[in-house]
Amino acid sequence: MKLLSILIAAIFAHNIALRYFLGWCPLVSQSKKLSSAWGMGVAVTLVMTVTSVLNWPIYHYLLVPFGLEYLQYIAFIIVIASSVQVLEMAIERFFPSLYTTMGVFLPLITVNCAILGVSLFMILRDYTFLTGLVYALGSGIGWTVAIISLASIREKLRFAKVPKPLQGPGITMLIAGIMAFAFLGFSGMVGIE
Amino acid sequence: MSLLNSIIVLDIIAGVLAVVLVLANRTLVQYDDVTLDVNDGEEEFTVEGGSTLLEGLIENEVYIPSACGGQGSCGYCTVNVKEGGGPVLPTEEPMLSREQLMEGTRLACQVKVRNDIEVEIEDKYLRIQKYRAEVIKTVDVTPSIVEITFDLKEPETIDFKAGQYVQMQVPTDSGTIDRAYSIASEESMTDKLTLNVQLVEGGVGSTYIHSLEVGDEVEFTGPYGDFVIQDSDKDIIGLAAGVGLAPFRSIVFSLFSEEYTTDREVWLFFGARYKDDMYYKEKFERLEEEHDNFHYVPVRSVPDPDWEGEVGHNTDIVGDYLGEESEKEVYLCGPPPMMQQAIDIFTEEFDVLEEDILFDDFY
Amino acid sequence: MNNTTEIFVNGLWRDNPVFRQILGLCITLAITNRVVNGVTMGVAVFFVLVASSFIVSVIGEYVPRRVRIPVYMLIIATFVTLVYMFLRAYFTGLSQALGAYVGLIITNCIILGRLESFSSENGPWESVVDAAGISAGFAAALIAMSVVRELLGFGTLFGINVLGSGWTPWVSMILAPGGFLVLGLLVWIERSISPVEEG
Repeated sequence: MKLLSILIAAIFAHNIALRYFLGWCPLVSQSKKLSSAWGMGVAVTLVMTVTSVLNWPIYHYLLVPFGLEYLQYIAFIIVIASSVQVLEMAIERFFPSLYTTMGVFLPLITVNCAILGVSLFMILRDYTFLTGLVYALGSGIGWTVAIISLASIREKLRFAKVPKPLQGPGITMLIAGIMAFAFLGFSGMVGIE
Repeated sequence: MSLLNSIIVLDIIAGVLAVVLVLANRTLVQYDDVTLDVNDGEEEFTVEGGSTLLEGLIENEVYIPSACGGQGSCGYCTVNVKEGGGPVLPTEEPMLSREQLMEGTRLACQVKVRNDIEVEIEDKYLRIQKYRAEVIKTVDVTPSIVEITFDLKEPETIDFKAGQYVQMQVPTDSGTIDRAYSIASEESMTDKLTLNVQLVEGGVGSTYIHSLEVGDEVEFTGPYGDFVIQDSDKDIIGLAAGVGLAPFRSIVFSLFSEEYTTDREVWLFFGARYKDDMYYKEKFERLEEEHDNFHYVPVRSVPDPDWEGEVGHNTDIVGDYLGEESEKEVYLCGPPPMMQQAIDIFTEEFDVLEEDILFDDFY
Repeated sequence: MNNTTEIFVNGLWRDNPVFRQILGLCITLAITNRVVNGVTMGVAVFFVLVASSFIVSVIGEYVPRRVRIPVYMLIIATFVTLVYMFLRAYFTGLSQALGAYVGLIITNCIILGRLESFSSENGPWESVVDAAGISAGFAAALIAMSVVRELLGFGTLFGINVLGSGWTPWVSMILAPGGFLVLGLLVWIERSISPVEEG
């Protein structure tokens, strides 16, 4: 039950993109088309889950016993950077068709702060391994929900007359603001702690 | 203790990941080196297959703009791919306009180089460029060699390595022809360029350059060539004769400049025939006084009575100066017989490997 | 020296990382609800970018290609860890307010982008100047954002009451939606003043 509420909270009330502002560079650049948004969303969810599964034991079984918690940034980021590379190579080799739809988004993810952010939040909030896993999965889905909604709205806007200086990033931010208002509505629904 | 712990733990993590990466690279990636052709053969690079186009370009010192570190977010690194780029990827589409897609414009950070590829890149990003320059000084340093200095107009600076050369565009009745001349000025001087040119009887290029006066405009392309100081800590042995001194003027004064001083041993043996051919002597002697690790040995093949230095060819006397124990890199620029003799001496008497002997060929 | 000024000004205005290149948004959005956070983060990013630019401009060419990104990340992460330890030791309150976002400087693509595109090809001096310009531009954007948000959201600047007790705080300004809306409006204003050239 607790796991379920964590999952729901991570997707809606504590949406990693709309409440914690994580992963916005790709959210702006890859949300012009729905198809790219899907690829990006799936890639983020996959990497987020994989890296938190790796980072949790590294933190609790390597860093904590030696009192080296302060090394978490360095340790996490090398885990993320290398697992993204390995994942990309593996997908390119074994699932060529998946590679063109989703794999090509992987290199964009190394410096996606949502990935590192989820690992850090997981440690900050003292999740158990299983909770952390569910939280990472939920955050990935939540991020996907955000990018898909944003891309859908932007596709509708394609023929709207937006003032020139507001086109692109400007209007995207305003849309995101309104979406964030909507997501605030989920706040009372479930807690995350 | 805690420091030791952190090092050990980090090493474990990094080590395991490095092994995984190397294994993955071995088993999962199977590409050969491919050729990257820029602007119809203007430049040609060999790059590792499987890398991105942007990486391939950066590795070869072609720095096209990019701001986000290959994340596909900024859309700056656009390049026209003429052939071999594969289909447009979904990561690029949002960044490219319809016109750009039609023209074959791609994001270099997203295109993976898997087979030979042809691209178009604006000239200003290539190292080899076309320059327009104005003559600001000419000095006759010997009866037949002129030292000519240009002020760069367009582009205003040149980025080259000491020892490289430029191709002068020489106007003739039937269009322009290219003639190669070594750069004699030092690396740090990027807004001007100095050449030494010897007048050759009937030579189109040298006649043209000797006819230039202050205020004349010229065009040239460059820099070219790999007659440049190698990255090692071996002793640098330079043998020059005649106008072959030009690249060494650039090399030596770049090795001992205000910004940078090498700690390698540097020898320069310069051979000339008559007194008047002994140019830049004072310049090098002054440098020799300032630096213990620079040694300048002028040699005259036809000495006057008052010549106190070495006599003969520079290849005859190197043995008197150089020991056999230290490792050497040999740089040669002079007439072909001198170069051949030098190669024989250094490979046989000093056991210098052939790959450690570099020569400038277009004397 | 002319060149130096140009590199710096480029970073500050013409290539402003936030308004122009739309990079580094997570931090810009997340911590700008108070000016003091914005200033701290600006200084932190300044330090990390300048220091890692210097290192990369010196060692860049010796790093093998396949491991380049991980190595850069490692360099950045080291400096971020230093900042984190410094903040925690001397500014405990601030460090708590910024929370995990200090760590997220590592994934700020402005930094990685600068290292890849500028420092790896330029000398230490140019790289440091470029890094200083870019991070000054980033700090300026953070401060602009946080001034608007704190003023409207709390009626204060640096925690000092500015708008008087009659002011009803716009709470949404300090919550998530305010970040997006203010950034959208600032981008709009900036691009109206100096339009983006047609690509």
